[in-house]
Amino acid sequence: MIDQQLAEIANLAIVVTIVLYVLALIGFAADLASTSQRRSDERLAAREKHEAQSRDQETSAEAALPATVGASGGAGAHVAGDAQASAGAAVGSEGAGGGDVAGTDGAAAASTPSATTAGAAASGSMTAQNFAFILASAATVLHIVGVALRAVATQRVPWANMYEFATTSTAVVMAAFLIFSIKRTDLRALGTFVVGPVLLTMLLAQTLWIVPAAELTPSLQNSHWIYIHIAVAILSTALSILGAVVASLQLLQARHERALMLKAEAGEQFPEHWGRFGHVLDRLPSSTALEALSFRIHSVAFVCWTFTLIFGAIWAREAWGRYWGWDPKEVWTFIIWVIYAAYLHARATGGFRGSRAAGLALAGFVAVVFNYTIVNTVINGLHSYSGL
Amino acid sequence: MTRHDEDPMSTSDGTDETLNSARTGRPAAAPSETAANSWSSKKDKDAPRGGGSGPSMPSLGLRGTLLFLWRQLTSMQTALILLMLLAIAAVPGSLYPQRSVNPALTQQFLDENGRWGEILDKLGFFGVFSSPWFSAIYLLLFISLIGCIIPRVGVHLRQLRAKPPRTPSRLTRFTGYTRIELPGAEADAVLETAHRSLRRSRYRTVVREEQRSRSVSAERGLLRESGNLVFHIALVGVLICVAGGQLTSYRGQITVVEGQGFSNSLTQYDSFDSGAWFDPTSLPPFRFTLDDFRAEYVLEGADESRVGQPLSFEADVDVTTPGEKNEKRTLQVNKPLHVDGTSMYLLGNGYAPEVTVTDPEGTVVAEGPVVTVPSGDTGYTSQLVIKAPDARPEQTAVVGFFLPTGVIDEQGPHSIYPDLADPQLAMSVFHGDLGLDSGIPQNAYEVDVSSLDPVTNSDGEQVLIRLAPGEVYELEDGTTISFDGVLRYAAFDLAHDPFERWVLVSALAAATGLIVSLFVPRRRLWVRVSGGSADDRTDGTVVLEVAGLARSDDPALEEDVKTLAKKLSTAQDGTGRPGPAPTTGPTDDTPEGSAL
Ligand code: HEM
Repeated sequence: MIDQQLAEIANLAIVVTIVLYVLALIGFAADLASTSQRRSDERLAAREKHEAQSRDQETSAEAALPATVGASGGAGAHVAGDAQASAGAAVGSEGAGGGDVAGTDGAAAASTPSATTAGAAASGSMTAQNFAFILASAATVLHIVGVALRAVATQRVPWANMYEFATTSTAVVMAAFLIFSIKRTDLRALGTFVVGPVLLTMLLAQTLWIVPAAELTPSLQNSHWIYIHIAVAILSTALSILGAVVASLQLLQARHERALMLKAEAGEQFPEHWGRFGHVLDRLPSSTALEALSFRIHSVAFVCWTFTLIFGAIWAREAWGRYWGWDPKEVWTFIIWVIYAAYLHARATGGFRGSRAAGLALAGFVAVVFNYTIVNTVINGLHSYSGL
Repeated sequence: MTRHDEDPMSTSDGTDETLNSARTGRPAAAPSETAANSWSSKKDKDAPRGGGSGPSMPSLGLRGTLLFLWRQLTSMQTALILLMLLAIAAVPGSLYPQRSVNPALTQQFLDENGRWGEILDKLGFFGVFSSPWFSAIYLLLFISLIGCIIPRVGVHLRQLRAKPPRTPSRLTRFTGYTRIELPGAEADAVLETAHRSLRRSRYRTVVREEQRSRSVSAERGLLRESGNLVFHIALVGVLICVAGGQLTSYRGQITVVEGQGFSNSLTQYDSFDSGAWFDPTSLPPFRFTLDDFRAEYVLEGADESRVGQPLSFEADVDVTTPGEKNEKRTLQVNKPLHVDGTSMYLLGNGYAPEVTVTDPEGTVVAEGPVVTVPSGDTGYTSQLVIKAPDARPEQTAVVGFFLPTGVIDEQGPHSIYPDLADPQLAMSVFHGDLGLDSGIPQNAYEVDVSSLDPVTNSDGEQVLIRLAPGEVYELEDGTTISFDGVLRYAAFDLAHDPFERWVLVSALAAATGLIVSLFVPRRRLWVRVSGGSADDRTDGTVVLEVAGLARSDDPALEEDVKTLAKKLSTAQDGTGRPGPAPTTGPTDDTPEGSAL
């Protein structure tokens, strides 16, 4: 029987989790904003110094300074929309911003040459990123507890409908991200880009897809494949989400790097691109490193999708007497699989590597999203028994 | 081969050419990037294939043209494009109702969309997965795949037998390059230790004598390419087995009322589909009786939206297979019955009210359970059709609804709950020619009442009969209808695909190959030892150089190279005192995160 009281507690846990994620997101964003702020300050200082020197040499350059400051200010304002939520927090955490950088791998440290200075200034105090990381970890624990309570309340696996599927897979995304970034502290800088989509999904789940705790419909009963097939599907989805985050950052980073390079070639001493957001990107690993990470995530994801297909086919045969029937859900899982196969191919094909391959990875992700939204809600198929 | 000497891939034995991807995502890729081009066993990996066959060639001739087309077809770019096309072509298969999935929906779409529907139908949009264009894409893809695999298998087999290639003369450019000077060490002993250590780590090794040095060239991860080949070959296997299944499988639907039986022969099926090579005599001769069918639903009092949702379906069957005794089994959704040569799945259920119809002359013209068709609502409002062609003076049809929990209100007769809380029949009776003799096959669950006369009462209104179990209704003309009771029926699918286990085997083989192909790192490692007592120019100091080359995504390589170097230098020391500080070459020092 369903324990409705416990289910209520589970729901409450999820709601609190959402609140915590909001706070963590603010923390991560504040961290990004503050580092980017610091970076612009550094650049500005360096530029001023440089220009002061040159002014010493040739007095005719006097007019140049105010002009440059103005330009730089403009660039900063340009990202305001991006960092809006964090703007308030950013001010507060300004000084504390990047203390953690000192502890990160050479990778991140190298990308912020003077991070150590800032780190030293902030040592001892809680940085925005540490705060966000701890908050996100706490939220994730609560998230997992919520999902587990739902499972206990219904006495079955917590993935029988879209609400449960969404809450469970976002828990997996967060757990995977946190585990990845325990050691590789440089990855924590990606926090905003992971918590953001997770939060969005959870809000959708909490508002649009929520359903009361209930028993399984007969079509989902009596089969251990519900554990295996859907667990693997959740893992695949989670990895696809992570992979898409990394792939899109890779694309942005590649553009950013190219632009900076062109500017540097054009003789600019302190090339600027995309203002503050550019500084955020400066903080992240290089596009090559992101590409390698994206590939690693996507290759695991592809293996998981392969098993999702195989286990799904085995279950379909047990349930409906055929292993494959081109049901809309099957069609879309097939499409996802084929697109990711194309991505892996693209990485080995001349002219497709790098950004174009990343584009394919994102196309795969679009198919994943389509599969869990439109296919579940609009298109009618055998899989739509799960209710919303 | 026109590469300059130092390129490790242009070694004289030529085997290197066959090597797998050296594309790495790492910044260190500079040397390996060039390497990749010539290493690839895969055509077109990096550039459109061989300059010679460019499209601008003036006179290709027929043979030349065919060769050119074949090379294009088996290129990686083509494979990539075909894969994308395959994904795109599958999309309409989920957006338009497919005939193979639900013919009724397809028909409905056609009815609603007129001309547009016809055009789509002509283009195959309601049978995407058997349409010429979809088939063309996947067939081309698989031809391309086979054309791609065959040469790679040969190359890979040769590769497996070949020795690791010559050590590059300059190691400095390679990953993790480490140079250590070991004063007073034994050159041969160092090399021997390196050799043993690499062998123990399952590298294929070869010791090479060089002009003023000796080196171990080691290689690991050929399995990667093996896995990749297994994966692609297994995909072909999947396709062949699926096709085999299409030709030899069958699938049929049956409906069995409680207490009744079924014996497996073609005539017993409501519908039956089979492949071209299916042999009807291969139907296994088993029989069964449906003893009981149980359904449970969410009861009143639960959450509003869920009342009436099904909780479980169970069918108790008594199966007799030839040569074996009777066996009692319970089928559930997800729990099919497997007997030799076929499997039986519980896929539907409904009600079969027992109705007796007598004509005005007093003859019983219809009797027993009537299978009704659920209309798809939660309440199981089910359509009932009884045809009595033997009724006199006129043929009679009874048309109406069976309602497990009946209500008749402004919406007409319908059922509000799927279980038998208040079972009712709501029917009208028609007289006239049922058209059963016309020779046109008819659906037993439908009748066209437009050519029949409804039975009316004295006011000329159509008589609506409403019966509870045990009740009898007598029409003015003397026709009687009695509702004797309700039975349930179960609908089963019987299906068999002799190839499906081979589809599974191929798919699992593909998955295994894939894992190997993605996660086994392919790499080379070199240890060079020069100097030592035999060489008077170096004052007896032994120089140890270690470097590696990743041929795939391999983040651990650098670490492994350094560990090996350290291990060799301390092992040589013997005394345990730390070896001299290693110097690291200029390679691969670019930190990962170095954005500009
Ligand atoms: C049936 C469609 C195909 C699918 C689903 C498919 C799938 C894949 C996948 C998932 C990979 C990545 C795994 C790995 O790196 O080992 C891969 C790699 C590869 N495929 Fe395919 N493939 C298909 C057809 C082809 C064809 C037609 C060719 C020949 C042109 C081909 C050549 C290759 C090569 C050379 C690699 C290795 C790439 C590398 O070095 O990483 N594949 N394939």
